[in-house]
Amino acid sequence: MPVNAPVLFDFIHLAPEIILSLWGLFVVMIDVALLRRRSSATRGRILGVMSIIGALAALASIYLPDMMDLGHAASNVEESLFQGTILGGLLVERLTALLLILLIFVIALSTTWDLTEHWGEYYALLLWATVGMILLIASEELLTLFLTLEMMTICLYIVTAFEKDQRRSAEGGLKYFVYGSVSSALFLFGLSLLYGLTGTTRLAAIGLALAPAHTSIGLVGNVAGAMAVLLVLVGFGFKISAVPFHQWAPDAYEGAPAPVSAWLATGSKLASIVALMKVLVQALGPWAHGVNDISSPGWVGIVAVISALTMTYGNFAALAQKNLKRMLAYSSIAHAGYMLVGVLAVVVGAGKSAAGPVLFYLVVYSAANIGAFSIAAWLYRDKGTDQIEDLNGLGLKYPILGMCVLLLMLSLIGLPGLAGFWGKFFMFSEALSQGDDRHKLTFLWLVGLGLMNSVISAFYYVRVLRAMFLRPSTGRPLQAPTLTIRLAVIGSAAVALIFGLYPQPLSTETDAMAESRIFITPSRPAELLSVSPVRVVPRPNASDDTRLRAGPIGGGPSAPPEPTPVPDSRAK
Amino acid sequence: MNDIPLTWFLIFAAACFVIGLMGVLVRRNAIAVLMAIEIMLNAANINLVAFWRYGTPVEGDSPISGVMFAIFVITVAAAEVAVGIGLILLCYRRWHAADVDRFDSLSG
Repeated sequence: MPVNAPVLFDFIHLAPEIILSLWGLFVVMIDVALLRRRSSATRGRILGVMSIIGALAALASIYLPDMMDLGHAASNVEESLFQGTILGGLLVERLTALLLILLIFVIALSTTWDLTEHWGEYYALLLWATVGMILLIASEELLTLFLTLEMMTICLYIVTAFEKDQRRSAEGGLKYFVYGSVSSALFLFGLSLLYGLTGTTRLAAIGLALAPAHTSIGLVGNVAGAMAVLLVLVGFGFKISAVPFHQWAPDAYEGAPAPVSAWLATGSKLASIVALMKVLVQALGPWAHGVNDISSPGWVGIVAVISALTMTYGNFAALAQKNLKRMLAYSSIAHAGYMLVGVLAVVVGAGKSAAGPVLFYLVVYSAANIGAFSIAAWLYRDKGTDQIEDLNGLGLKYPILGMCVLLLMLSLIGLPGLAGFWGKFFMFSEALSQGDDRHKLTFLWLVGLGLMNSVISAFYYVRVLRAMFLRPSTGRPLQAPTLTIRLAVIGSAAVALIFGLYPQPLSTETDAMAESRIFITPSRPAELLSVSPVRVVPRPNASDDTRLRAGPIGGGPSAPPEPTPVPDSRAK
Repeated sequence: MNDIPLTWFLIFAAACFVIGLMGVLVRRNAIAVLMAIEIMLNAANINLVAFWRYGTPVEGDSPISGVMFAIFVITVAAAEVAVGIGLILLCYRRWHAADVDRFDSLSG
């Protein structure tokens, strides 16, 4: 058994997760012990503020390894913690920070209206779901992967059904649960086959054990391997709501309280996409397709088809929606389709860290969705429904928020000058620059379809804007929004605008994050068996941008000799 | 001990898995669906333990990862049932039915 470092060291790296877990218990206890006699609304507000304090404490604790000088430059290096089950390093730290910031907005939105009496449990479950997401991103092994995935989704099943006096909330929760647990059973069976075929549960070791399988025929004749790949893809397809495993998403998003829908659309999807990339590249890389032949059996073809179906179906179904949350659900399905194109580019360009654009897209997409769902929360508070027609006249009555929503919707369409455009631009151009001619043809199809879909998506996003700016106000008037709604909408519009005008800082950051070793198919035993820090990830602020973009992976000044990634099919 | 070959376990696990999957697809009662999901999880457990017993661990890897996996899956399955029963009860109070195809107020 490889033993890494003092155990205390590992626990310090895990500080955000530990703080969040304990804080969840703390919040429940405070609710039960001290706030018994307060009204539901007061308890919601007090506990909301407390949960935000907990999230801020966790955010601060990310930098604990840096602050406590632990003998070596802690976060310059990607460590394997807890005997190679959990990853620590730049990528995980930054994504943890991102998830915690999103969580703070989600908690703040939850105080918009009195959605439940059980505030303590509600906030605790949100915090614990976040622990699951953070560990899902960091997991390096099948068991932790499965456990954290379940930790995330089981908490989310409950909060989806939390608005107990609403019929649709209970129904959304049950549907999410049934689809979710069936898909995790399928996923688990796939993992068990993968364990049987390779004899290990560590992702890098699986990739290494499968390396001899990287032959010219791909998965032909390998029934067990094909089953494992298919089942794993079904499991992840469900979590990222890819067609044909998307049926739960519209119902769960519509039924759940708006803050929870926001968390389903951002946190859960973000963590699952990163985990999908990690598993596909690190463990299943050799089964991507046969050497020299992208069309031979392997999962690249399957993922390409899923991606095409997902973006097309998501956009066409969104066109028909009248409910704002349901429309956003289909739009998030479509965005998952775009991101799968980016994921494919990561696989084909293994070692070139094409993951940066996908991470960029995830940041931009998450920020925009928080803003959009906070509008849904506002509608629901004042009108009790969240139909798009309830937005009528809102843009004229609240011009600043109206302009912010305008920016958000245009960014989601991908109009130039806004962050959403750069997200799509980086991701699609990365996809087109990968691989040889045969890859290019596949990617050309996918990117073309993606661009066509962006045009289609304009129709339903513009419907929101048309209701807001061109229709007279109808029905009960909206009351002034709470401070939390204003902050969420203005904040996410600011992200769309600032990173639209200056995408460079964010793309430099995401490119640095993408240098992580989890986006590289492992290639030689030395890299795998040494659990000591393997790669040096250059700090983005300590190095100039050009080197990060153009230099070899981990080519920092003090980098150890680098293992060359597996020569992909195009090299032969 | 070695009288039973590995393939028997795998066939048994695959059969359990298919039975569970059929149960999920065919049964309408939510409780029955929950039971079918449990069968699927247990099928995976049989696989894990069988592979652990008959396989040799990769060098540098824990020799008991297969059984550890199975133990944790049992825990997760318990948590899932608890949540599932809770959700089914919640829906039962509203619809006075536990059939999954009755819960159809959301669609489109």
